[in-house]
Amino acid sequence: MAITDLTPGLWMMLAAFVVPFIPHHFRQIVMLGAIALSAMSLSAGAGYHWIVPVLGQHLILHHADNLTFPFGVIFHLAAALNVIYGWHERKPMEHTAGLAYAGAAIAAVHAGDLLSLFIWWEATAVTSVFLILASGGERAKNAAMRYLLVQVASGVLLLAGAAFLWQETGSWWFGAMELGSVGTWCIFLAFGIKAAFPFLNGWLQDAYPEATVIGTVMLSAFTTKLAIYALARGFAGTPELIWIGAAMTAFPVFFAVIENDLRRVLSFSLNNQLGFMIVAIGIGTELAINGAVAHAFAHIIYKSLLFMSMGAVLYRVGTVKASELGGLYRCMPMTMVFCIIGAMSISAFPLFSGFVAKALIMSAIGYEGLVVIYMILLAASAGVLEHSGIKIPYFTFFGHDGGHDVKEAPVNMLIAMGVASIFCIGIGVMPQMYYQILPFAMEYQPYDGSHVIGQLQLLIFAMLAFVFLMRAGLYPPEIPSTVLNADWFYRRLAPAILGPVMRAGLSIAGSLDGMVIRSARTLISGARKMVGLPMAGPVVPGPAALVQISLLTILLAIIYAALG
Amino acid sequence: MKKITETSIRLKEMGAWMTLILFGLGVLLIILEFIIHRHGETKLEDIPLFPAFYGFGAFVLVVFGGIILRKIIMRSEDYYGDN
Repeated sequence: MAITDLTPGLWMMLAAFVVPFIPHHFRQIVMLGAIALSAMSLSAGAGYHWIVPVLGQHLILHHADNLTFPFGVIFHLAAALNVIYGWHERKPMEHTAGLAYAGAAIAAVHAGDLLSLFIWWEATAVTSVFLILASGGERAKNAAMRYLLVQVASGVLLLAGAAFLWQETGSWWFGAMELGSVGTWCIFLAFGIKAAFPFLNGWLQDAYPEATVIGTVMLSAFTTKLAIYALARGFAGTPELIWIGAAMTAFPVFFAVIENDLRRVLSFSLNNQLGFMIVAIGIGTELAINGAVAHAFAHIIYKSLLFMSMGAVLYRVGTVKASELGGLYRCMPMTMVFCIIGAMSISAFPLFSGFVAKALIMSAIGYEGLVVIYMILLAASAGVLEHSGIKIPYFTFFGHDGGHDVKEAPVNMLIAMGVASIFCIGIGVMPQMYYQILPFAMEYQPYDGSHVIGQLQLLIFAMLAFVFLMRAGLYPPEIPSTVLNADWFYRRLAPAILGPVMRAGLSIAGSLDGMVIRSARTLISGARKMVGLPMAGPVVPGPAALVQISLLTILLAIIYAALG
Repeated sequence: MKKITETSIRLKEMGAWMTLILFGLGVLLIILEFIIHRHGETKLEDIPLFPAFYGFGAFVLVVFGGIILRKIIMRSEDYYGDN
């Protein structure tokens, strides 16, 4: 077995075990080394490179083809940029978690069967949760636990789906599926949770803004794009995805207008960007899949760049609340320039990466004659300009002077943002080179008069609308507030309804529990007397652990049902 | 406080310049619309200046939509009580 046959990402997960014990600067170098070593496996080419027989089935640990390759490349690139961006951080927690998380996401992309996918799927959840926990404090801890529960639920659904599928087909090979059976719906829903489908999206805007400065940048790259990859492999051409995606492009836009926390604005924006990719996957033609992959690739870079710039502001100023920022162009000019490059990329200005990626999706929709969807996405593009193109840079660096006198971002952050900016412009300027990496060969020219003039009209007149609304005093002011989102259903509604039921249940369980504990104590004391050694008493788990245990129990029941 | 005033003045100046540049670009794009033949992916887009009107309209709609949404779902910063 050649070294390139090993699963990409494996070296990164292994390195994560030693990372905490390596001194600060050397640690970052080791991490970059592990990423480079892992990336070598991308050269293995298309095919099945590492298969492990388990219980009469096969775990396909390294499968590569035209779809895995672009995701493999961009995930490695994002991981390397994160190492540079976080270079100043001396504590090992985020580095360890981040490297293992990126490695797990990369390995997941190369899983050829649903069981291997499940393993890495869950690994991304349990590693990335530390990026939120590292923020410290009760608020971050609670957000982290909610995040973990949702992610684990997605994994449980994936495993249940795999079990049902195994029962139906006798195989857990991960390939194109058609919605219809219980198994495929379970898997679809599992992917949908991680891809932040409408009403399943609460975890994203809840958790991402609570992570650390570096943590949010890491989170923004992998989890949701892994789901995009999985949907592209499993459900390309599923028509349901077209409307789901269109809804995703539209709704978050309104939330982003009124959200005050700028990293949360970017999280809504991330959700909206995923919508574009999901519409393209739903269409499923070669051009559309190329568009989805191109958009995911470009999006990871410019979204990281935007989160990096807001991270730098948070690091220096101590807040990213729009109501408290403004006028930072003076003290953080380079961060401002990089932020604007990210903003222009996501808004799809010609010569920036978003333009050459989004053009593929819009053309694919146009070719299919889906006029309503096309118009929704076109309007959503004006919405993207509103929140990511204008709101983020305007309220941070311009707007009203927030009176902050801070230093420019640390040099390592500037380097990471600079490299990301080069990619944003490079892809925009040389699209043909960029298109080479996409799954299907194609002839496509994004730079013709119609595309460029049409897009510029859309963007410039939308910006003029902003000027008009500001000058007329109609633009809503930034207000410190909480904007309710889909997480409200499980943070407020469910406890309000289920609370009394649970309390009644718990009091019954409590009396039973008392009996159990009493008998356990009797048993233990009896055992102690017999053996003469001290033993641990019964442990009462916390609520998060209880929910997870119940989830796993349900899963076990489903698997028994499926296999039985 | 002097520093804040200076920055505020400069921000106002920059805003005025930016508005001027955007108006200039807008006029230029209107002129180009009638010089360069433009066609869209859909028939609707072939209407003269369609993207310009659509962009302006969609932006206003998004902002007004946000204002309405704010009335429904905006709560105090400490709504979940974990600040």
